[in-house]
Amino acid sequence: MEKSFVFEFLGLKFDLVGIIGSTLMALAVLFLCIWLSRKVEMKPNKKQNVMEYLLDFTNGIVKDNISDPDAQKHLSLYAFVLFLFIWFMNQLGMFLEVKVGDYMVIKSPTADPVATMSFAMMTLLLSFTFGVQKFGVGGYLKNYAAPVGFLFPINIIEEFTNFMTLSLRLYGNIYAGEVLLTLLGNRLATSYGLPTLILAAPLAMIWQGFSVFIGSIQAYVFVTLSMVYIGKKVTKE
Amino acid sequence: MSVETLFAASHIYIGNAIWYLVIFAILMLLVKHYAWGPVSEMMEKRRQKVIDDLDSAASDRKKAEVLANEREAALKNSRQEATKILSDAKSNAQKESDKIVAEANDNAASIRKKADADAKQAKTDALNDARGQVADISVAIAEKVIAKNLSAEDQKDLVDQFIKGLND
Repeated sequence: MEKSFVFEFLGLKFDLVGIIGSTLMALAVLFLCIWLSRKVEMKPNKKQNVMEYLLDFTNGIVKDNISDPDAQKHLSLYAFVLFLFIWFMNQLGMFLEVKVGDYMVIKSPTADPVATMSFAMMTLLLSFTFGVQKFGVGGYLKNYAAPVGFLFPINIIEEFTNFMTLSLRLYGNIYAGEVLLTLLGNRLATSYGLPTLILAAPLAMIWQGFSVFIGSIQAYVFVTLSMVYIGKKVTKE
Repeated sequence: MSVETLFAASHIYIGNAIWYLVIFAILMLLVKHYAWGPVSEMMEKRRQKVIDDLDSAASDRKKAEVLANEREAALKNSRQEATKILSDAKSNAQKESDKIVAEANDNAASIRKKADADAKQAKTDALNDARGQVADISVAIAEKVIAKNLSAEDQKDLVDQFIKGLND
């Protein structure tokens, strides 16, 4: 198993792989967005069109799942950034896996459950916030006993399972993709010299292409489900 | 099954979780400021503009319709007016011509009447004149006859003289 740089700071453990990957991809998202929207005009230019298409896409996800117009307005930015960020982090490990010796330096941050759980936790907390904002603390808690009282424990458990499925689905997909890619590249390609190297190349290419697809789908699913969970909290059942 | 085996690929690093949240928050702020804000503002502006354009186009069309109706009505009116003016003019002209003809007839009749009267007058005047002269001549002859007891010779002289006088 590959090792990673771990250091402690203020009593908290940091894993350098996730930090490098996420920071790089955050910068990539930022520069892409700035590059795409450098000149914003009433008659959109090509780059602005791309930006507006992306924005329309994420706004569509928000509008499809949340009926409350106020929450829609607030979640547009969240959905947009979340989608782009997760998409970039998913794709990072597909084409760039850097190892120095036995140490992993760069791979998809989303192939790490801590990252996906962080984002899922963010969604969970946001859903609490929106629910409380909409119905007040009392009304929000009462919604747990809706539509009938005995569903209360199930609704409580649902919060936890929502969180777990949301984070682990993304993690599992990306992690499995990377494991298979690593297997193809490190094990199969080097097992019997040239023939397996030649065999591994197209397989790795096909799998990479598929992983791009999976990464996009998973980013879409993550954002969609986040919106569904938040949308459920701001709708009266 | 412990958490360690569940996430065999890595360990739970709380530091990373905080890092992700912080970097996501920073990313969100920056993207909002540099990209999302301006672009969505422009999209909203464009949406508003499209709505305004559609509204103004609808109102313009309505206005144009009203104008066209007005123009059509005006055209109809003017056509009616034109026919009215034409028929008025025709009837006026007819009346005028009737009047003129009647006047001319009247004039002609009066002129003829006057001419008749004048001719009659002239005839009576001429007759009266002639009658007066004949009377004068008779009186003159009578005077002459009475003034002289005339012989046949004298009478003859007298007549000659008278005739001579007539000749003068």
